[in-house]
Amino acid sequence: MATESSESEEEGKITGGNQHLIVEDDLREMGKKAAWSVSSCKTGNGVSSVRDDNLETYWQSDGAQPHLVNIQFQKKVKLQLVVLFVDFKLDESYTPSKISIRAGDGFHNLKEIKTVELVKPTGWVYLSLSGNDPRETFVNTFMLQIAVLSNHLNGRDTHVRQIKVYGPRPNSIPHQPFQFTSREFITYSIVR
Amino acid sequence: MFKSAIFLCERLFAEFPSEVNLQLLAACYLQNNQAYSAYHILKGTQTAQSRYLFAISCFQMDLLSEAETALCNANEPGGEIPNGAAGHYLLGLIYRYTDRKKSAIHHFRLALSIDPLLWAAYEELSVLGAAEEATAVFGEAAALCIQKQYLHQGAATPDLQISSEDYNLVSLRNFSSEDACPRQVKHTQGNSYRDIPGNYHGAAVSSGAASQPQNGGPSPFYNTPSPMASHLSGVAPPPLCRNVQPNGSTLNTENTDGSPRSVVNTTIQAPRRKFVDEGKLRKISGRLFSDSGPRRSTRLSGDSRANTNANASVVAGNGTNNSSKYHGSSKLSSVALRTVTLRKGQPRANENIEEGLRNEAFDDARANMAPVTSSSVPSGDVRSLGQDGATVLVGGVAISGSKIIIGASEVLGLLRILGEGFRLSCLYRCQDALDAYLRLPHKHYNTGWVMSQIGKAHFELVDYLEAKQAFSLAHRVSPYSLEGMDVYSTVLYHLKEDTKLSYLAQELISTDRLAPQSWCAMGNCYSLQKDHETALKNFQRAVQLNPRFAYAHTLCGHEYVALEDFENGIKSYQNALRIDYRHYNAWYGLGMIYLRQEKFEFSEHHFGMAFQINSRSSVIMSFLGTALHALKKSEDAIKMMDRAILADKKNPLPMYQKANILMGLEKFDDALEVLEELKEYAPRESSVHALMGKIYKRCNMHEKAMLHFGIALDLKPSAIDVATIKAAIEKLHVPDE
Repeated sequence: MATESSESEEEGKITGGNQHLIVEDDLREMGKKAAWSVSSCKTGNGVSSVRDDNLETYWQSDGAQPHLVNIQFQKKVKLQLVVLFVDFKLDESYTPSKISIRAGDGFHNLKEIKTVELVKPTGWVYLSLSGNDPRETFVNTFMLQIAVLSNHLNGRDTHVRQIKVYGPRPNSIPHQPFQFTSREFITYSIVR
Repeated sequence: MFKSAIFLCERLFAEFPSEVNLQLLAACYLQNNQAYSAYHILKGTQTAQSRYLFAISCFQMDLLSEAETALCNANEPGGEIPNGAAGHYLLGLIYRYTDRKKSAIHHFRLALSIDPLLWAAYEELSVLGAAEEATAVFGEAAALCIQKQYLHQGAATPDLQISSEDYNLVSLRNFSSEDACPRQVKHTQGNSYRDIPGNYHGAAVSSGAASQPQNGGPSPFYNTPSPMASHLSGVAPPPLCRNVQPNGSTLNTENTDGSPRSVVNTTIQAPRRKFVDEGKLRKISGRLFSDSGPRRSTRLSGDSRANTNANASVVAGNGTNNSSKYHGSSKLSSVALRTVTLRKGQPRANENIEEGLRNEAFDDARANMAPVTSSSVPSGDVRSLGQDGATVLVGGVAISGSKIIIGASEVLGLLRILGEGFRLSCLYRCQDALDAYLRLPHKHYNTGWVMSQIGKAHFELVDYLEAKQAFSLAHRVSPYSLEGMDVYSTVLYHLKEDTKLSYLAQELISTDRLAPQSWCAMGNCYSLQKDHETALKNFQRAVQLNPRFAYAHTLCGHEYVALEDFENGIKSYQNALRIDYRHYNAWYGLGMIYLRQEKFEFSEHHFGMAFQINSRSSVIMSFLGTALHALKKSEDAIKMMDRAILADKKNPLPMYQKANILMGLEKFDDALEVLEELKEYAPRESSVHALMGKIYKRCNMHEKAMLHFGIALDLKPSAIDVATIKAAIEKLHVPDE
């Protein structure tokens, strides 16, 4: 998950960003199973632009801050990573600056799990949801909310070009306490 | 050449609208993949041959119920199935695809009894799990049956000895050699082959003539009616496709010296049938069917060509009456075709002969509805020649009955081995199947089909390296044959060889874009890279190309499961099972879904079904054991695991599962014992150490637990497991605090 171009994290500040999206193999994108919504948007730049795999299109908010992107799942899922594509060079004052990620069962009990400040980001920005404790590698939740609290240069509205949400791959063999790693085990473990 | 054929045939039909011509036209349409046209023109016809052709068109258009009614009208249950073995085979297929296994088995068996060389019927029986032992099916009785058929055909009219002159000796020689191995498809040099045209005998009866050159029916294995020299012989009009499959037909147009009429190729293509017809030459003026052709040829030949193409003379005698079907179409046939050159210039004699022939043909036709092979021999002739020990005049060369038996026995010997191997591999007795195939002579062993069967057998034994070898050899030997390549791609998937797999997939697609196997390979390639959506698309394409290809459905099911779309997964697996009830992979897939959904009884049932079909697969046994354990039938579960361990020493999975179960039963020491053993076998498997750590933790042996957890973490488990293990380690420290 690391970036090649500079990503320095000092007390929650992130600069730079990758041009290419590189994610570990044992993670898979979970966004397709969720319902996505936004707090406000300009016509033509709605929430679908943030999920269309097209970096030219973007979501543009149209209201008061904070701007929210809500991601709701039908059942509790384990999430590990959120990746956003934001670019200061393209969006300037629309580029988000302070982002807060909240999780919970629904709108009534969201709790903040991460805050981060972006400083002139230039591409894919990786926000890991894991805590320090190994027991907290994943966030097990029904809903995730990404809140844009402020923008660069004090812009009012924000542009976000793409958002992806990752969780771990489930065990391909059910009812096993651990996943298999070696070739011999994997070869014998399924019938295809 | 089909366009000309169709055009001329349509003119012919317009001119002389008779049923025979209609059948001819339908045959042309079928050859040209226009099943719908054949369907329309044949709708409502009643003669046996027409009904057969109609059934084929319905089958190709997927109108199975109509095909069934055409072949065996429910109102007349005692009615005869048209076209003998071919008809029974087609009916068997229809029953199979409409889920009536018993009737399907019955008809396939009948087809085999009528024509023991109908390999496809034996294959179908094996797939349905109901094949008898190959030695029984391809045994002595079969040899006698074949001999009888040959003798029937053989009796060429002695009158037509003359024909021998004209015969192309080469072809004769070929023919006799072919006798011995009818199954091989050979192109005899330049002779026209024929493909099995439909058995137009039915029509012939009505119109009185025609001997069929070929035996009808798509069934490919005909020992072709030999050239029987006598007069009949149809000529095989030009093209001959041999292979019925739409993909593969090749037109061999070599023949026909340009006579446009070549048409009449009445070979009908049965869908997906393998043709094994070899160029039986048709010498003799046959007639085949070409009506228009002959007429013109008749006229023309009457004019000048009396020489070589003999029929001409014969035909000349005939009126241009279509119904006579005697068309010498020698012209039609290719160069090599030599038809009987009856005495040229002796029209009267010809006519007599013709009459004689016609009568014979007529008798023949009547007598010959059933037997598939060679139809042309007039039974009358046989009588005259006497039965056993009769000599068959084949192309002017007398072949004695005993030689036929020898030839037939050789062929049957080969089929016996192949049949036994195939049957055993369908019963999943793979080791026995491999032993059976080893008895084949080298030249047969190293062919694409056999190697791919061997590959499949190794695959079922979970011996992927051997399977890979066999398949790659098969692919090298016959790169155009895609049979079994889907299983090859799965083998590569299991071995995780992504470069080889993508290369294979690309090659297959460039060989044949319309074969489901190519898309299955492509899908496996994407699935290996975990791109399940694209893999699913590819498998769906394979399904579209051939909805009766069970494995494509199963693979779709696997992808749906990987995408966690269980509903569609269940549907796909059920589709696969509808096509092939004995496809154990689909049963397994369903069992896995229910296991995930925690519907343990269903899961056990489905794994049980898979186990019944393939009782030697240790993987299925280990999952069955897991399901049993989940149902709290732990004793049975352990027994099953032990069986699994015995079945395949190389499979680590059952030992691991057994340890798991033992842990669940709190028999920690036993569990640890098993795991220690397993550790020797697979030292780099993280889950083994993780499980050991877990057990030690339960036993409160913290140091050992810590040690094993540490090793487990070093072996780089997946993210979830890292979390679990780390959490477990944390908890270990708590009591120490």
